[in-house]
Amino acid sequence: MRGTAVLIVSMLGSVVLAAIGQAAEAPPPARITVFAAASLTDAVTELAASYERDTGHAARLSFASSSTLARQIENGAAADLFLSADEEWMAYLDARKLVAAGSWTRPVGNRLVLIAPADRAAPIELRRGFDLPALLGDGRLSTGDPAHVPAGRYARQALEHFGVWAAAEPRLARAENVRAALTLVERGEAPLGIVYATDVRASKSVRVLAEFPPESHEPIRYSFAALAGRDRGEVRDFLAFLSSPAGLEVFRRYGFETP
Amino acid sequence: MPMFTPDEWQALRLSLEVAARSVLLSLPFAIAVAWLLARRRFLGRTLLDAAIHLPLVLPPVVVGYFLLLIFGTRGAVGAWLNEQFGLRLVFTTAGAALATAVMSFPLVVRAIRLSIENIDPGLEAAARTLGARAWDRFFSITLPLTLPGILAGVIVAFSASLGEFGAVITFVSNIPGETRTLPLALYTAIQTPDGDAAAVRIAALSVSLGLAGLLLSEWLARSVRRRFGS
Repeated sequence: MRGTAVLIVSMLGSVVLAAIGQAAEAPPPARITVFAAASLTDAVTELAASYERDTGHAARLSFASSSTLARQIENGAAADLFLSADEEWMAYLDARKLVAAGSWTRPVGNRLVLIAPADRAAPIELRRGFDLPALLGDGRLSTGDPAHVPAGRYARQALEHFGVWAAAEPRLARAENVRAALTLVERGEAPLGIVYATDVRASKSVRVLAEFPPESHEPIRYSFAALAGRDRGEVRDFLAFLSSPAGLEVFRRYGFETP
Repeated sequence: MPMFTPDEWQALRLSLEVAARSVLLSLPFAIAVAWLLARRRFLGRTLLDAAIHLPLVLPPVVVGYFLLLIFGTRGAVGAWLNEQFGLRLVFTTAGAALATAVMSFPLVVRAIRLSIENIDPGLEAAARTLGARAWDRFFSITLPLTLPGILAGVIVAFSASLGEFGAVITFVSNIPGETRTLPLALYTAIQTPDGDAAAVRIAALSVSLGLAGLLLSEWLARSVRRRFGS
């Protein structure tokens, strides 16, 4: 009886040890972990795939709102690169000494558009004080949460520019990232949405009603940077690849602007 | 004592409202289903039992997504509700209540079913021999004896509804005053730059609410036990 107990305990023990041992033996990650704004999903996925084909270095990608990612990085998430949809969240991390010195670049830009489900869309002209409530009916305007999501912040600036923010604010459907805002319009739950021009290219079921003029909001410039203490050679290399002519060509193909 | 902002009070009120509406919505169905499962043998009973427990094992986001497909503005049921009754669920408090009701439904059914199974069938049989009809037997024997189970189910479901996050944010989004309950407000605070102070306040609010719920349920359980003996 006693012998059996000892046997079982030692077997369990060796299983546990084997599990721990495996964790301890795992080689230092050669992979590059990239935290990227949701709007970059398609372009960066393609870029990472072609980078892996060329160099053999795989990149792990995590897409979410820049705000979600920045807060995760602030709380110790092990990311190597952060690709933010605005400068503010990069500045937020920079102020906390979390950005690798000299790695911050702004290689691509975007535009902001007003969208509707494809089957209900008629283009409109954006004028000061345009009748947003009439366009909305009893529905909601879907965009990123202006409290933190970059797309929502730009949307707020643009609506303020046209003097319709006060009418829009109580009617917002605040999504946790810009792609979630797009989904609400795609599914027809929201009759209007404000997303990036590049998001719409990924979707067949929405149509652009109008494009917000660049002067109606802060310039949409993506901020790319390596994170402090993580700018190893391959991380810098991937970062450089994103801004290389080949990299920028991919971004352009997905509709991003490159200066 | 931290000072709460109006938005935080609103989230608290909304949480309580959503939880209350969700329990009211699920209770009649839960009693019916619990009774069926406890007292009747029928084809597909095991399947029904499993289907009801699905929300316990599925990721809440999956439940929220199914709700969106079915009860969304273009979903089969959602479109019908909107046309017939002008009832909208997406983006509304009613939708949040539906999502939490679905999530907590198995908890209510379990509690009530256990209670029904513990009732001595002899009592119902005796009532029948005395000429009581089915509905009469149910309302004057079965239901009162199930009361402790119903109370337990209501309290568990209410508490679970206060905390539901995944299904709510997926189905009805995060709209202040409509669907932004305490957990969603906490989530938003965590995302917001320098939102830590707010996050801590909302977390404190949630803890006090949970504690109050637990104490209340303990007190209720005791008084029920005193009332019904054992």
